[in-house]
Amino acid sequence: MPHKTRPAVAKTDTWSPAARSRGRVVRRGYTAPRMQPKLKRGELDGLAEFYSLDSRRTETMLELAEARPSRAEAIHFFANCLRIGGVLSLASALVFFVAANWGRFAVVGRFALVEIALVGCTAVAFARPPPEFIGRGASFLAFITTGALLALFGQTYQTGADVYELFLMWALLGLPLVVVAQWSVASAAWILVLNTALALFCGAHPTGGLLWAAIESRHLRPALLIISAGMINLALWFALEVRPIGAAPDWVRRFILSCAFGFGTWGGVLAVAGGSPGYGESQFDAASVFLLAIAMAWVGSYTVRRRTDVYPLAVVMGTFIIVSLVWLGRAVEFRDEGTFLLLALWLVGTSTAAGAILTSLTRRWRKAADP
Amino acid sequence: MSSATFFEFIAQLRARGVIPDQAPPADAVERPWFVALLQGAAGWLAGIFVLVFIGLAFRVESTGAIFTLGSFLLVSAWAMYRADSTAVFLDQLALAISIAGQFAVGWGILKNYQSTLPAAATMLALQVLVLIVMPNKTARTLAAVFATVAWVFTIRLLLQPLSGEQFLFGEGHQAAAPLLGAWTVPITWLVTWVPLLAFTAWLIRNETYWMSSGLRAYARPLLIGLLLGLQLGSADAMPIDIFSLRLEHGGMPFSWWALFPLLSVALAMASAYGAFLVRSNALLGSAVLAALLHMARFYYLYGTTLMWKSLIMALAGAALLLAGVTLRKREQ
Repeated sequence: MPHKTRPAVAKTDTWSPAARSRGRVVRRGYTAPRMQPKLKRGELDGLAEFYSLDSRRTETMLELAEARPSRAEAIHFFANCLRIGGVLSLASALVFFVAANWGRFAVVGRFALVEIALVGCTAVAFARPPPEFIGRGASFLAFITTGALLALFGQTYQTGADVYELFLMWALLGLPLVVVAQWSVASAAWILVLNTALALFCGAHPTGGLLWAAIESRHLRPALLIISAGMINLALWFALEVRPIGAAPDWVRRFILSCAFGFGTWGGVLAVAGGSPGYGESQFDAASVFLLAIAMAWVGSYTVRRRTDVYPLAVVMGTFIIVSLVWLGRAVEFRDEGTFLLLALWLVGTSTAAGAILTSLTRRWRKAADP
Repeated sequence: MSSATFFEFIAQLRARGVIPDQAPPADAVERPWFVALLQGAAGWLAGIFVLVFIGLAFRVESTGAIFTLGSFLLVSAWAMYRADSTAVFLDQLALAISIAGQFAVGWGILKNYQSTLPAAATMLALQVLVLIVMPNKTARTLAAVFATVAWVFTIRLLLQPLSGEQFLFGEGHQAAAPLLGAWTVPITWLVTWVPLLAFTAWLIRNETYWMSSGLRAYARPLLIGLLLGLQLGSADAMPIDIFSLRLEHGGMPFSWWALFPLLSVALAMASAYGAFLVRSNALLGSAVLAALLHMARFYYLYGTTLMWKSLIMALAGAALLLAGVTLRKREQ
């Protein structure tokens, strides 16, 4: 489990551009808490095998490693699962209810029901504000209700808006509620909504609506547009890495980075493949590939300097493997069956190298974190 | 899990006499889960490319030749794994060749059989064989996952036989004469999942026993494969329609059958509990993701109207919240 709070030393000694610019001595050898080793089951298996432990000693090892949750931890886990499951179930009930498009209610009645739910959730969040669980749950439900209300509006009045606009408006209007919730689940849901809007926008390539109005004068090429969507995520990831907040723990930041390079991979593939049926044929888009390469190099360099988590490097390498594979396939133009063997060997070679580098870095960074 | 660093932990083991004072330090760094995922996915894709290359280069067409080729690839993969377990490139190549071999053997079998049940059962046997024989954790874990999927299909096809060429559906989306009539659906579910749940629980409960013996090389991948299979396998049990509840039942009034897809969520959460017991955040995360995907399937699956589904979820949500809050109060 990643550390939820940083000890004081981490705040002052972890690498940061701000600290550097102030001329403070930055201890490059220091590794932030989340890289500190916690033994996983596979590693305990390795120790049991290496030292040929019998069952009694294995039991002691598992005890020392606290590898089995206590009864109190199990109850805590159950309670959390039940409460979060309850909130998510209520949220899905609301979405199902709106999606049912029931005919027994008048238009006013439909809106009144959803608006009452929104006001009710907001009132509960005010009465029992986050970080109390009830306040968090109510804020999250208010966020979901906002989306349901927008969907109901579009469904009832047939506004003609693109679907991406619904998600974009939802992300914009729901942001205050997510900020208020101070909850990782709400943050992840917001990231999902925002990225759905971006994916729908990039995928459908519409020529209207809010987002289009902002960028239409720039004549972005498709690959560049998609990579730009990735850049929005990348900027968010960087901001949260530099200024960590409790509502965006490690797993949420990893999710954001995955979204960033999901778009990066999509745009990169499009750029090296020279277009797609949806966008029409085009040439190799060197500018987009260059931008993606810069982003990959920057994330790689930032990660290596921080030495807190190898996940960003894994995502960068995954993007490289896929984009380079497509480029290779296009470069050799599938002349004969040997191309498939070449692609297989390229995949095996690059994934082997990626695995070796990442495992080696994990080992080294962990060792450096060991006092 | 203890927050002691690796070397602190080794010192604790020495102090408690678990390992001798003079024992050399172990180098026990496991690949992070995302590295295993990256390499596994790349191995899979490479395996498909290898198979296409061999198929085109050697123009293999008869089922016997395909089966023989697949078997040869599997033996080659086994030999590569055995040759040098520390050679990472060779391991990754062996994974690709092993996957190509499994596809080829599976293709050979599926082409031969007119009935889907023997095909599913043979795939189950093949995956169990790979699990036992291949001396590699990634290969064994993948085999365990696919063995679970093959088990789900085998039981489903055993109790709900389908006509020959319809692998996922019966003709016209109807299962052909379920053996146990209306009880087929719940009995299929029980026969499929209860043994898997029991086996998973047994593996977790007896972890100390198998960790201290050579069984760990099989049991760990099996446990991971079972936990993943519990999360995802239920989607195979009812690919699009819900068992024998036919498409014409879409939007029907509420019946208890409407609750059936929610059992997939329950299975995913059982897997989440298993992941919690073995302290695996990666498996816990994938279980939560699977539960959310099953919820999306519940939305799209036929069975009853959305209004009823909404009511079911509202009641379930209220019950879960109440239970969670009560448990939390007791905890405090």
